[in-house]
Amino acid sequence: MALARLDRLTFSYPSVEAPALEAVSLELREGQVVALLGPSGSGKSTLLRALAGLVPHFHGGRFGGSVEVAGLDTRRVRPAALAGVVASVFQDPEDQVVMTRVANEVAFGPENLGVVPAEIPARVEEALAAVGVAHLAGRRTTELSGGELQRVSLAAALACRPRLLLLDEPTSQLDPGGADAFLRCVERLGAAVVLSEQRVGRALAIADRVLFVEGGRLLLDAPVAEARRWLAAERPSFLGLSTVASMDNDPSGALVTIDEAWFSYGRIPALAGASLELLPGELVVLEGPNGSGKSTLAKLAAGLLEPEAGSVSRAGRAGYLSQDPGRYLACERVLDEVALAVGGDGGRARAALESVGLGWAAERHPRDLSSGERERLGLAAVLVAEPDVLILDEPTRGMDPDRKAALAARLLAYAARGRAVLVATHDRDFPAHRRVALGERRELLAA
Amino acid sequence: MRSVPAAVLLAGAGAAGLLASRPVSAGAIALVLLAVCLRGTRGRRLYLYGALFPPAGVFLLSPLLSLEGADVLWSGPVLPVLGPLDVTSEELHTAALSSVRFAAVALAFAAYALLLDHDELVAAVGFARRSALAVALATRLVPTLERDAAGLAEAVRGRGVAVAGVRGHARLLSPLVAGSLERASSLAEAMEARGFGRPGATRAPRPPWRARDRAAVVLAPLLVLAGALWL
Repeated sequence: MALARLDRLTFSYPSVEAPALEAVSLELREGQVVALLGPSGSGKSTLLRALAGLVPHFHGGRFGGSVEVAGLDTRRVRPAALAGVVASVFQDPEDQVVMTRVANEVAFGPENLGVVPAEIPARVEEALAAVGVAHLAGRRTTELSGGELQRVSLAAALACRPRLLLLDEPTSQLDPGGADAFLRCVERLGAAVVLSEQRVGRALAIADRVLFVEGGRLLLDAPVAEARRWLAAERPSFLGLSTVASMDNDPSGALVTIDEAWFSYGRIPALAGASLELLPGELVVLEGPNGSGKSTLAKLAAGLLEPEAGSVSRAGRAGYLSQDPGRYLACERVLDEVALAVGGDGGRARAALESVGLGWAAERHPRDLSSGERERLGLAAVLVAEPDVLILDEPTRGMDPDRKAALAARLLAYAARGRAVLVATHDRDFPAHRRVALGERRELLAA
Repeated sequence: MRSVPAAVLLAGAGAAGLLASRPVSAGAIALVLLAVCLRGTRGRRLYLYGALFPPAGVFLLSPLLSLEGADVLWSGPVLPVLGPLDVTSEELHTAALSSVRFAAVALAFAAYALLLDHDELVAAVGFARRSALAVALATRLVPTLERDAAGLAEAVRGRGVAVAGVRGHARLLSPLVAGSLERASSLAEAMEARGFGRPGATRAPRPPWRARDRAAVVLAPLLVLAGALWL
């Protein structure tokens, strides 16, 4: 018998004409690991929310067809009532943490489910150990990194012992090693798992079956081997990007030189003698595990931080696009958001918006845009001033392969105009002229 | 010390500071609470600013605005509406007492926010757990807001736009509020998905109280009594 069954599910969010999901039918079986693939905004998150009952109960909207989980019709039972069967881990772990201490956060679900009190500590311990963060049990959740929070969120879901685990891009903040370890945990669970993931290779490695959603429609529901053939023929970008870019011009005279820079946040060291040069015309990818100091080095290059020792010299202006730019929008109108960096010059702002395909949104409120559109808006807001050095911190987080390829092409074209581009990322596939890595000791390992 | 007795003790200290009739006594209580707050590490600055600047404002402004006492220390101009701007020793005494009382209460709250385990407080509330959780989440919102404000300022500076002065920072208020509402909506969704609000919820067992926890609960009313009668 199927654990979950969707029958011609069609759903539209309130005040949105186009359906987010259209006539989706599928069945999920106990213990199956299903990779849910598709472009950003294709309906993957909505599908996961429908399985958790959050669509339509939490979001409202127009709902057609039916969703049954463990024999329960999700239209008739509240999501809280499904919580014992289904557990979800959402994209941004910061937005789902309820409690102050890690152990209490993991205990929150079992407490709500009415688990016998004496059994809860053992469940908490077991769940934290399963995802390799038992040592964090006593820590405050506000002190954890994004990667640590993602693991704690998974532990919180596991502590509920769900039969169906829904994971919405759960490794987006993890470095490659962390993501591999996380997915190995998922593979061992024994529960049915639906994993929405933009790191396609990793998802396919642990999946039994693949769903591909586009424009709200389910285009593919097949075993992994068949799905690989389909992706190769129909959506080849989902199977990998070129990682090497060739440079047309001869670089000379560094635009940024960081020499033996040291930096710490209070007593916590972030960089110990890191050096880096950015040359005109090149796109450099800065890699390294979580906590290795990539963001700190990027901020030093941008002039947002000053080194405690060592030196940073810059020829020309720098522009910096922070992590999660869609969260940090400062104005009430898209056009004003972009014009902010050019003293309110509407003409330049409109041109920058056109260049990222958002010309139509000039008069909209930035928070009315989708997450992908907000990211492009953030990029336009930095590019509009045409900085000589462009620095981007994790710009591909949660980005689908096609959008990533478009971003890479845009950045390579920008560099080709004699500018330098630095991209701090966990993404080993992102094309670059040169890759440098920060190690555990927060020094540059290779160049 | 467990969070519930610590909260009771902080409430007692804050009340004693509020009831004390001598600036020295209220000031001593405020100093002890300040030392307690300094044990907090993350997000300390915002709470300390919030606890110390308003009392400082009270101390600076109230002597100029009140009309009390005959021992004039400084005479200023006569302003329309406000009247004569002068400072008397009685006004200074009253201003000092009001500001240290204010500081004691504000620092007691800062210590509660910075140092206590709010989860434990929520768990200890036998009734109205939803309201207690809402208070705990609202308290935690302050450091989140501080982090978001820093991120927003950094994002704007990254575009080459300076964030300076009252106007520059005021521009960030509206997006900060909008961001908080988005966070609140996401959190509510996550809580619903995790079974919050189901009937029959239980509590994980908490460690038992020790002697000093019981002593703190006894000490708190004594502090209030001392504040009212002797300090």
